[in-house]
Amino acid sequence: MAELFSFLLGLAAFYSIYQMLALSLNLEYGYGGLPNFGKVMFFAGGAFVTGALLTRLVALSPGAPPDMVWDVSKFKIYNTLLATRGSGYLATNPLLALTLFALMLILGAGVGALLGILASYPAVRLREDYLGVTLIVSGELLRIVARNYEPLVCGTLGVSVPNLFAWAGTYSELIKVGSMVAVSTATVLLINIMVNSPYGRALRAMRDQEAAAASLGKDVVLLKIKTLAVGSAIAGAAGSMYAMYLGAVVADEFTPLKTFIVWLMVVMGGAGNNAGACLGALTYIGIDRALTLFKHLIPLPFDVNYLYYTVMGVALILLLMYRPEGILPERPGRLYATTEISSDSRGGQAAPH
Amino acid sequence: MNVVLDALAFSNIIVLSSIGLTLTYITLKVPNFAHGDLVTIGAYTALAAARLLGITPYAAIPLAFIASGMAALASYYLVYRPLDRRGAGIVTLMIASMSTEVILRASLHIFADVMTTSTKSYWRGFLFREEGGQLTSYIVVSTITAILIIISLYLFLHRTKYGVALRAAVENPSLASAIGIDVDKARAVSWLIAGGLAGVAGVFMPFRTPTDPETGWALLLRMFAASVLGGLDAVFGAVIGGYVIGLSEVLGIYLLSGPPLNLSTAYRPAIPFAILVILLLIAPRGLSGVEWRRLLSRMSRGVVRSG
Repeated sequence: MAELFSFLLGLAAFYSIYQMLALSLNLEYGYGGLPNFGKVMFFAGGAFVTGALLTRLVALSPGAPPDMVWDVSKFKIYNTLLATRGSGYLATNPLLALTLFALMLILGAGVGALLGILASYPAVRLREDYLGVTLIVSGELLRIVARNYEPLVCGTLGVSVPNLFAWAGTYSELIKVGSMVAVSTATVLLINIMVNSPYGRALRAMRDQEAAAASLGKDVVLLKIKTLAVGSAIAGAAGSMYAMYLGAVVADEFTPLKTFIVWLMVVMGGAGNNAGACLGALTYIGIDRALTLFKHLIPLPFDVNYLYYTVMGVALILLLMYRPEGILPERPGRLYATTEISSDSRGGQAAPH
Repeated sequence: MNVVLDALAFSNIIVLSSIGLTLTYITLKVPNFAHGDLVTIGAYTALAAARLLGITPYAAIPLAFIASGMAALASYYLVYRPLDRRGAGIVTLMIASMSTEVILRASLHIFADVMTTSTKSYWRGFLFREEGGQLTSYIVVSTITAILIIISLYLFLHRTKYGVALRAAVENPSLASAIGIDVDKARAVSWLIAGGLAGVAGVFMPFRTPTDPETGWALLLRMFAASVLGGLDAVFGAVIGGYVIGLSEVLGIYLLSGPPLNLSTAYRPAIPFAILVILLLIAPRGLSGVEWRRLLSRMSRGVVRSG
């Protein structure tokens, strides 16, 4: 029973993180037609800023020796100790802990947005293939810098992050995951409002016919910059949440495989449909978590995750061939009556491109 | 001297693999993210041949060519051609390319794990060890192989009837099919050659660095750097691009890690990546895309005006 409960909590935690990532890619690609093949970079940005700042900030409050915090060679050794002590201190100060939780989410989103605005420079200039390569490479550059520049997240060793929910005692995990689900749900609502607003309609117009959207007076360049900034801010906040949930940030975790997983979720679920993206995320995370739980029961001479990646890759290729619109295809916007659409030429072609 | 030789050998690997990357890019205009894994397949074929058949890795070069070439051909026939026929756009092809990459890399992991448990020897982080001084045989062999392959590929593509037809088919498919060239077959041959060259490059990899299923993927972005530098629409541009990227990475980190900067050598991959990002933002069509004549005339005009 306790095992089932902790399994469900883990599922909810990972789902709330990946739901944000999938929705942010859906906003960019599904609605805006911007193929962001560097999703992991923005996710990592949020995680790195949290890893770099949170432990240090918390350590300063109960008066840790400043050289332990600021001298990198010492911080590298003592960061786990500082994080544990910080958790202990925050256990007595829930208000400060929650403020830090919110602050880190905002910081993560800020860093994400900043990186998104940087990424929009190539995004408005390069063709999809060149843009894809640029974004993948930029993400790898960020990872290489993070794993070598020790002041950031202690290089290859990684940095520990204090538990911001230690004050809740035995309910700590429950309240932590509950807050994550709340943040993620708020994001769903926000994105749903955005895509049904005039902004969302302009976004779809840009995706379907960029020249036509521009001819109707939509500033396509500004629209792309805005979309990448918003999408990346959400990914950054998700990264920050990921760091706070796991209690550690390790640079080498942020490889392009994470980008692939988010793409898998969006394309599988249905690009251009938020419910689809969420369904894709739930399917992937559900199987992934179950595999982690039952791994030791599967008698294979290799890690079952590799088999899972292979199967998922094949599934994605088959989907692209036989059902490119995904499990839940995009539905026509609210402003149209369905009868109007079905007679329209657009009815058959739901997926972007 | 040691560093220069090492840089040369590293560049040979990049050149051999990025020629194929450019070739496949020309056929379908899709960056093949799985190209790095074709290199790994070559490396593992050589390892399997060395361990199971007891031959030297050099003798396994033809086997590696066939294995990686077949993998590339399979990905063309099973993934890209069906999608292309369905009229898939570039983003769809890129997602498929990423999926193929994940499938191949995960399969290589499974292969390495299964072989490790079944043969009771390490199939991860393996090396082809060589005794000897600075000028070890693989540097010589890889250089000779690279030169021979470049020359024969040039002769094939420019001096034989079939090669010319092949170039016509991949560069202008509609025109080529109008004069009766089998475009589909030409594309398949291109993928076979591209994969094969990646496989050959893979044989040399374990002579240099410990090789595991992630090795080729780590190499992929350097190949992109080389291909983009040489121009993604110019097959032999990749040769120049490959040598520039390989040399600048190895020699660059040698210079940067010494005084006065004393940078960690782990920043090595950042050099080609930084070159690639800057290149994509300034001259995305590579060296062959820069209009040198116009640039020169503009510069000379500028000199005249300022003078």
